[in-house]
Amino acid sequence: MSTKFDVIIIGSGPAGVSAAFPLLEAGLNVLMIDGGKVPDMAPPEQDFLSARRDDFEQWKWMIVQDFRAIHMRSAVSPKFRVPSLAFTFDGFEQGNNIKGKNFVTIGSLAAGGLSNAWGCGVARFSSAELAEFPSEASSDMERSYEVVSRRIGISGKIDDDMSDYFKLDTYAQPPIPMDPLHASLATRYATQRTKLRAQGFRMGRSRVAALSEDVGSRKACNLSGNCLWGCRRRSLYSAADDLPKLHRYENFSRLAGFLVDGLTRRDGSWNIEGQGTDGTRRAIVAKTLLLAAGTLATTRLVLSALKYEEAVPVQSSPMAVFALWLPRFLATQRVPGFGLGQLSFAVTLAKATAFGSTFSTTGLPVSEFARHLPWRRRYGIDILSSLLGSCLAGNVFLPGNLTAGEARLQKDGALMVSGAYRGPVMPLMKEAADKLRRAYHSLGAFLLPGSFTIGAPGGDIHYAGTLPMRNQPAIGESSPVGEVMGLEGVYVVDGACLPILPEKSHTLTIMANADRIGRKIAVLQRRRAG
Amino acid sequence: MRIAVTGATGYIGTYLIGLARTHNHYITAVSRRRPHSRPMDWIPWEMSAKTVALPPGTDVVVHLAAETTWSRDRNEETEVLAAEVLVAAARKVRAKFMFVSSQTARPHAPTSYGRIKWRIEEQVLAAGGWVVRPGLVYGASARGVFGTLVDIVGRVPILPAFLPAPQVQPIHVHDLAEGLLRIVEGEEASCRTYVLAGSQPVSFTRFLHEIARSRLRCHRMFLPIPASLFLGCSRVLDVLSLRRWGIERVQSLFDLSKMETVSDLNRLGLVLRSLNSGLHVSGSARKRRMLQEGLALLTYVLKTRPENAALRRYVRMIEQLRGGETLNLPNPLLRHPALLSLLGDSTWDNEAAKAEFAWRMDAATLLGEATPAGSVRFLGLGRQHGLFSRGQVLVKAATCELMWRSLSAVGVPLVRKMLARAKAAL
Repeated sequence: MSTKFDVIIIGSGPAGVSAAFPLLEAGLNVLMIDGGKVPDMAPPEQDFLSARRDDFEQWKWMIVQDFRAIHMRSAVSPKFRVPSLAFTFDGFEQGNNIKGKNFVTIGSLAAGGLSNAWGCGVARFSSAELAEFPSEASSDMERSYEVVSRRIGISGKIDDDMSDYFKLDTYAQPPIPMDPLHASLATRYATQRTKLRAQGFRMGRSRVAALSEDVGSRKACNLSGNCLWGCRRRSLYSAADDLPKLHRYENFSRLAGFLVDGLTRRDGSWNIEGQGTDGTRRAIVAKTLLLAAGTLATTRLVLSALKYEEAVPVQSSPMAVFALWLPRFLATQRVPGFGLGQLSFAVTLAKATAFGSTFSTTGLPVSEFARHLPWRRRYGIDILSSLLGSCLAGNVFLPGNLTAGEARLQKDGALMVSGAYRGPVMPLMKEAADKLRRAYHSLGAFLLPGSFTIGAPGGDIHYAGTLPMRNQPAIGESSPVGEVMGLEGVYVVDGACLPILPEKSHTLTIMANADRIGRKIAVLQRRRAG
Repeated sequence: MRIAVTGATGYIGTYLIGLARTHNHYITAVSRRRPHSRPMDWIPWEMSAKTVALPPGTDVVVHLAAETTWSRDRNEETEVLAAEVLVAAARKVRAKFMFVSSQTARPHAPTSYGRIKWRIEEQVLAAGGWVVRPGLVYGASARGVFGTLVDIVGRVPILPAFLPAPQVQPIHVHDLAEGLLRIVEGEEASCRTYVLAGSQPVSFTRFLHEIARSRLRCHRMFLPIPASLFLGCSRVLDVLSLRRWGIERVQSLFDLSKMETVSDLNRLGLVLRSLNSGLHVSGSARKRRMLQEGLALLTYVLKTRPENAALRRYVRMIEQLRGGETLNLPNPLLRHPALLSLLGDSTWDNEAAKAEFAWRMDAATLLGEATPAGSVRFLGLGRQHGLFSRGQVLVKAATCELMWRSLSAVGVPLVRKMLARAKAAL
């Protein structure tokens, strides 16, 4: 394939599509290459509880023919066991030649990438966090945040104690209604907030990329409770939803099902080498190349093109999960509701801030909890069936620089990712657990003893910072527009180029940054042409 | 391959055709009656027919047909001539020929059955065909000699234990069909006799006992009878012309010499199922054990009998993800699933066994949950909830948990012994 494209983007996830829009707007010819996997099963037709009550075939979407949910028993998150999400995760490590050692390495070969299975958490980086970006980058982010937020649709706009933390209310739709448990926490918080804020705990509605009002063909959330299993209404944003919009541009082309495995420099252009799903190998020539394959896959492509054998850092947010019990709701019936974050909190710790959200337990299989309960299974289920309806699940994240992760290209071409939590993580997690226990206690909820569980490094699947943008980049770093030092015309637009990974959700920032780089490249290209 | 099968509606024929079709062979049935099990090409054919026209393009003729009903005017020559006609017909279309004979085939066999088989074997080998001598064919539906034996064991409360007992070499009908097909599919040169049967003979008494135990699940008494007495009596019946085929075939059991089957089994890569396994109606004891295990675990989890579909899913899952291996849980635990609470962490003598049990319990939990009954049990959908009833459930669960914990702590040696015994019983 000759260089009839001005720009080639590798990856169709949140970063890839966000970079594509400004390039297309500027009239450039863009080719997007991706793994192209698509869902192979339809989302449930009924709401979660009705389907559970009536559907004799429910095992097909809960477990599926090849018993995926059981086969993937030891995977870190329930998401990996969900049959309808299999297409999102399968084949990534083998396809991209990535290995993890004491580190969870997840990625996607799907159209839309990991956003097919994300928690939809969105936040803007604070000005202090953006100050870690190269100076020219941080000043342009404001506009990009707005463009991206408006495009993907965000809900949760409300004046609360988390408004400043997320800084998204200007672009957001109203929040999706809370379930009674969360509503009770919010009501109690209103009366206790002064005290809790003094303790360093603040709480508010989660800001999520899920619709409370229709946007185009995507419909507002109807509280079906199918967030984990697949949303028929497409209320939850996936970058796959942007692909039809991109196809409306005549200057957009897409090559789906092509797995890039190497970049080589030839006659001032880049040869993008890879393999189609049918196994045929080919090379595509590009002058300008945007890498949006996801932090790990992008890192491998860059390091092997650079023939760089030193380790590069990997940031990843240490994560823990916990369960809350609200005794007042012991006798409530299960009601369907929104399955992703409903309330979020930020806790000020001695040397960091922790961020997290709480979720309804209704849309999750009870088995997920039963297997961690150290009871005889029969009585464990008795307990859970009575208790879980009055329980919430929560997660909590710490800043990504607290994981000492590294990625190194091996002799055989594989990227080996390894890492461990840094020393302060355990004390910080303990502090977070104590503060959360106290805070939730004042809100009428008990942090269940033994439920606070710290995940494995990489288990958050927030990877970033392997090829960070710097004002003065060295080899293994990138310029303020993501251009890799030593690889002219190769730009990193995904999490790999973030210089910092705070505790908060980073996807929106990756998208805004990709949009920003897309704009810059559009200007550069036009200048070159004109 | 295009395979013509005589005796297509018979015991072996039915299973051979079923298997051959899964291997994508094209079957022509050559038989008196049209096979009703599945639609297929059919050539009506009687043993007494003087000619038969096989379809051109036929690759192999498998001759299974035999005269199995006794009649006064039965003529030894009929079967031999029928085989002659078939061999000629096969040669005409350049098809290979396979004759499925019998362990009793000998030139001077005491029964006409054995003599007929011998004469046909001679013909087939002379024509460059294959001869296969199976042992005592059994399993799946109760037909043929096996059918007669199942019928007798089912009806007669006291069975003869002949002294000395004849030794039989059984082969499951599915295994035999597999073996026949492997010969047909292989490129091996013709003109050879294969012997297919269990390599270790078992006594006829044990065989009857296993039919009672594994197939019919009943208990049978055995009365020792000198073999000579039986043979004497049957000779008297013979003289009185009261013999029935069944008797003659039982008679022929006393005339079996051991077949060395190991080299043929190895050559075909054929692994025979155990007698115990093959005698179950499902064709395998393993499957039954998987069902028992699934039933116990799912009942334990759901506190009620699971729907059959969930049970079948459990078995399929074990087959797919665990190669069909069962845990070998002791019978009392299988029969009374509540007792599974006796199994605690300290019960297991190794980490692997403990992890495997945990895996199966998790799998059963999820399989049980993903059913409408599971939504009641796990989510409490459609159940009455009051604060009081919820509290009651919690207290009761905690009490039970405590009770079982103490019981299991006290009973560790006993439970370990049960587990070891269940393992050894295999």
